[in-house]
Amino acid sequence: MIAGDLTAKCAELERQELTSPTGEASAQEYAQLLAIYLCQSDLCNAKFLWKRIPVALKNSHEELSQIWKVGQCMWKRDYPSAYTCLQVAWSDNVRPIMTTLQEELRSRAINLIGNAYSSITISDLSAIAGISDRDAERISNERGWIIDAETEMVHPVRPPPSSQVITSTEGQLNKLTDYVSFLEN
Amino acid sequence: MVSGLETFVNAVQSLSAQGNFNDLCDVLSKANDVLTKNVQHLDNVLETLDTYQHSLGVLAVLYVKCNNLPAALPQGGGPAEGAHVESKTHEVFIFNQFHNFIEKCDSAQIRLAPETYSDLCHTVTKILIDQKRPHRGIDLIRRAIHKIQKHESQLTGAHADLMQLCLLAKNFKPALEFLDVDICSISEEGSQSEAKYFLLYFYYGAMIYTALKKFDRALYFLEVVITTPAMAVSHIMLEAYKKYILVCLILHGKVLNPPKYTSQVIERFIKPLSGAYHKLSLAYNSNSCEDVQQCLTFYAETFSRDGNSGLTKQVLASLRKKNIQRLTKTFLTLSLSDVASRVQLSSPRDAEKAILNMIEDGEIFASINQKDGMVYFHDDPEKFNTPAALKRLEEEMERCTELDRKILEMDEKFLVNPAFIKKQQCGTTEDDIALAPAMSDGRNPVGDL
Amino acid sequence: MTLPQMQPLAYQGGVEPMQVDAPPEDNDNSNEEEFYIVRNPSLDLETYANSYKSLARLHRLMFIATHCPSMRVEALKMAIQYVMNTYNVTLYQQLHKKLQESIGSNSTANLPDVAGGGAQPTSQDIPAFDIHWVESKSKKAALKLEKLDTDLKNYKSNSIKESIRRGHDDLGDHYLDCGDLSNALKCYSRARDYCTSGKHVVNMCLNVIKVSVYLKNWSHVLSFINKAEATPDFSEVHGKDSSNQTIMTRLKCAAGLAHLATKMYKAAAKHFLLANLDHCDFPELLSANNVAMYGGLCALATYDRNELQKNVIFSSSFKLFLELEPQLRDIIFKFYESKYAQCLKLLDEIKENLLLDMYLAPHVNTLYSQIRNRALIQYFSPYLSADMRKMAGALNTSVHALEDELMQLILDGQIQARIDSHNKILYAKDADQRSSTFERSIMMGQEYQRRTRMLILRSAMLKNHIHVKSTTGRETGQSGDATQSGKERN
Repeated sequence: MIAGDLTAKCAELERQELTSPTGEASAQEYAQLLAIYLCQSDLCNAKFLWKRIPVALKNSHEELSQIWKVGQCMWKRDYPSAYTCLQVAWSDNVRPIMTTLQEELRSRAINLIGNAYSSITISDLSAIAGISDRDAERISNERGWIIDAETEMVHPVRPPPSSQVITSTEGQLNKLTDYVSFLEN
Repeated sequence: MVSGLETFVNAVQSLSAQGNFNDLCDVLSKANDVLTKNVQHLDNVLETLDTYQHSLGVLAVLYVKCNNLPAALPQGGGPAEGAHVESKTHEVFIFNQFHNFIEKCDSAQIRLAPETYSDLCHTVTKILIDQKRPHRGIDLIRRAIHKIQKHESQLTGAHADLMQLCLLAKNFKPALEFLDVDICSISEEGSQSEAKYFLLYFYYGAMIYTALKKFDRALYFLEVVITTPAMAVSHIMLEAYKKYILVCLILHGKVLNPPKYTSQVIERFIKPLSGAYHKLSLAYNSNSCEDVQQCLTFYAETFSRDGNSGLTKQVLASLRKKNIQRLTKTFLTLSLSDVASRVQLSSPRDAEKAILNMIEDGEIFASINQKDGMVYFHDDPEKFNTPAALKRLEEEMERCTELDRKILEMDEKFLVNPAFIKKQQCGTTEDDIALAPAMSDGRNPVGDL
Repeated sequence: MTLPQMQPLAYQGGVEPMQVDAPPEDNDNSNEEEFYIVRNPSLDLETYANSYKSLARLHRLMFIATHCPSMRVEALKMAIQYVMNTYNVTLYQQLHKKLQESIGSNSTANLPDVAGGGAQPTSQDIPAFDIHWVESKSKKAALKLEKLDTDLKNYKSNSIKESIRRGHDDLGDHYLDCGDLSNALKCYSRARDYCTSGKHVVNMCLNVIKVSVYLKNWSHVLSFINKAEATPDFSEVHGKDSSNQTIMTRLKCAAGLAHLATKMYKAAAKHFLLANLDHCDFPELLSANNVAMYGGLCALATYDRNELQKNVIFSSSFKLFLELEPQLRDIIFKFYESKYAQCLKLLDEIKENLLLDMYLAPHVNTLYSQIRNRALIQYFSPYLSADMRKMAGALNTSVHALEDELMQLILDGQIQARIDSHNKILYAKDADQRSSTFERSIMMGQEYQRRTRMLILRSAMLKNHIHVKSTTGRETGQSGDATQSGKERN
């Protein structure tokens, strides 16, 4: 699922909850919303959503608490446990979102490792990224991270800061004109 | 009796048809007694009126009705059936009559009776809260606010209701839609409790922002509360001041002095009532997590009674982070075990975890070397030489320009305000003194009326 | 005192061992001072005491008695001997009381065989309490007071200004002699209305300054120094004769003392350094040695290398003061020659003695740590990177302690550097002016936005007359008792 789709879906679910005749949503809707919040790393809203889901629904729908277990691991920033909690046969209702979440978490973890470590053991790398040691080696090679076989250490390289802002020269000129006219008045 | 009601209905219908709403307001202000005496017939009256054409009349009827509803969810529980009937009455009132009214009423008319309108919202809110189903009110009150607001940056009495409902329902997104808009004007309701709802809006707003960890905005809201002019101690202000200290510590690592125009009440009465919080900030100043922990233990009861336990825990966590940030400012390299001992963490592994979390949040820039058990601290990689940085600068400047324009506009408005000109000619009056603090804060005179 | 010596006494149940250490009753000096003990001073008490007169000598001796058990009896004896030349009967009684206590409980006072621990002095050279002296001295003091009072009344009835002024001064002198400081201050101040020349005004100021120093009223001291310096005649005749030089030096020293006491060390240094040794003679205030020590330490703690060179090392007048304190002179020169380890070692050697100086003692630790910090900063200033092991050696400390010290200095912005704790190297760090300017301007912009938003909101608030007025009862736990002012429309 793409981020834009999630945002639209999220707004729709929020609206449905508020405007439903009971002021509450169905278990399926809650599950989707909770999963989407996690995908967006909006842990605060996820936490309060979990708190407001009626107890009866939580009891009758185990999947809700399974999703929240992932959220709790994310709250504690325990990546390895989060991957474990994600190993659930999700219903069709949330499967696509949970798959996105898993990918999202993994790529975030790998980026973090690239940013935060100048050397890390292969086992720690695979635990944080939630992958096998072999995959860890593969990913390291892909990214040009050097593996020291003797010490079983990977030496990640910090990714260059991405700068993807496109501004037109004309727009720039417009803005400059604005500033000057503002300063002169 | 019935004839009284008939007169009322006729007056509403004819004056509304003529569009003579000022006279209608007069009539309505005197109709309270008649309506109250005929509570049982009010539903009939509602049927004869058209919600859109006779919005003011309907508002008056609903107002009397809601004030004569049986208490919501009587405590101790009477006979089950009785309770059922009562909640049925509420159900009909709120979700049919009130809902319908909000949906269809004429904004122009209800803006003539903002006080009654707000009171109605307050009562509905109270009923829903008493019934422990605040989530049912969020959408209603949200619509109610949109209906009466002249523009989205206007604060109304019902804003506080929405915040309270959202807080209790633990659903903050609908609140943010309003909280994120900066208030430029306040609806004139002339009620006795305007200040109370004003303070409550900002206090609840601050609570929502703290719950979402948007501390910057929370602090802004708390500052509004504690700088509201005051001649007496308000409990809202007192609680806000306590939270102000905590949020200040979390955000800035020290307690900032409130602005000069803050009421004397804070210094004289509210500070002495917040001793535990000042002790905490003293302990924080020592940079010792141990001292802070001791303080938290010592005043645990006070903090938990004030509902601030969670925040105080975050204060401690923020000190840990601040101490690590201090390390990044002084060291190029440091062993993980030294980090652990310097910031009082139990093991190098904990230190690694803490640093990793801070890197993830962009709070420090460092790389961990597991091979040597060392951490290398870097400077902020932002060198302000990328298009992204330029874009950010541009956005900031645009915002400043926009605000400046707004101020100029206000300035011009005051300059042509007859009352302001008159005062300028007459010299200083009491109101000018009241304005002085606002003027001292900016270069633009802020007028009255 | 050591424990084994204490125990026998404690067993005898005579005196609590800790009582020795209890601060003297209501000695106004020791109120705010923390209690500490100096064990091995290298002070010649006799010489030391002889450099002071009047209350300066008494206060200093009492200070030493409080903080140095090994000199306690000796100091008290000297004080008693000296106080008998004055009318200060109260102090005489106090001193005796203290002396009895210290003999009673202090076994280190060169007499380990005090078995009874009683009030009986066992040595002939311990002066006995002389009740007759007390009585006759009190009587004489009263008579003198009466005479001076009558004289003053006579002068007043004759309205001879000069005599009245002198009368007040004499009365002040007498009160001072009796130890009644507040009355002395009153009399000296009253003389002010009868001054006919600038010289008189300056004289009055000096008297008031003297008493205010005894009272430790430093703001008073400073304001009368200003007054004296602003006296027109005084500035005119300035430099003409040596008495004016003396007055100048005396004012500078009093100002230095007041600034030292109020922790304004740099200002203190400045004033002490302006003193002139040839005219430095006021034993009722401080000694030339004091001027050297106070000025030298304050300068070392607060001056940068250039200031130190210009104002201390190359100062012909202060050089003479430094000759009085050769150890201090060595310290300053070692510091200047960047021989920090020796400098710090020498400083440690004189510390004990400094702790017995009533004016310097409260500031010794602060001054020392500032001097240390200066040494650290100066040591590192020419380097781009420095080996912390060598640095620790040069500064007489361990690498770990050095790391802590450096950390504090970097956080305070006193050193622009980063520590490579892995290799134990300190690297100088260039501040990135460009980035920090960007950062600052963004911060300022955000602050402006915040304040402007608040201002707009506040104007709406005032327009609607929103303010918390009075109590009208409460709604919920959180909603308080805020009400709104009655508001007039139009």
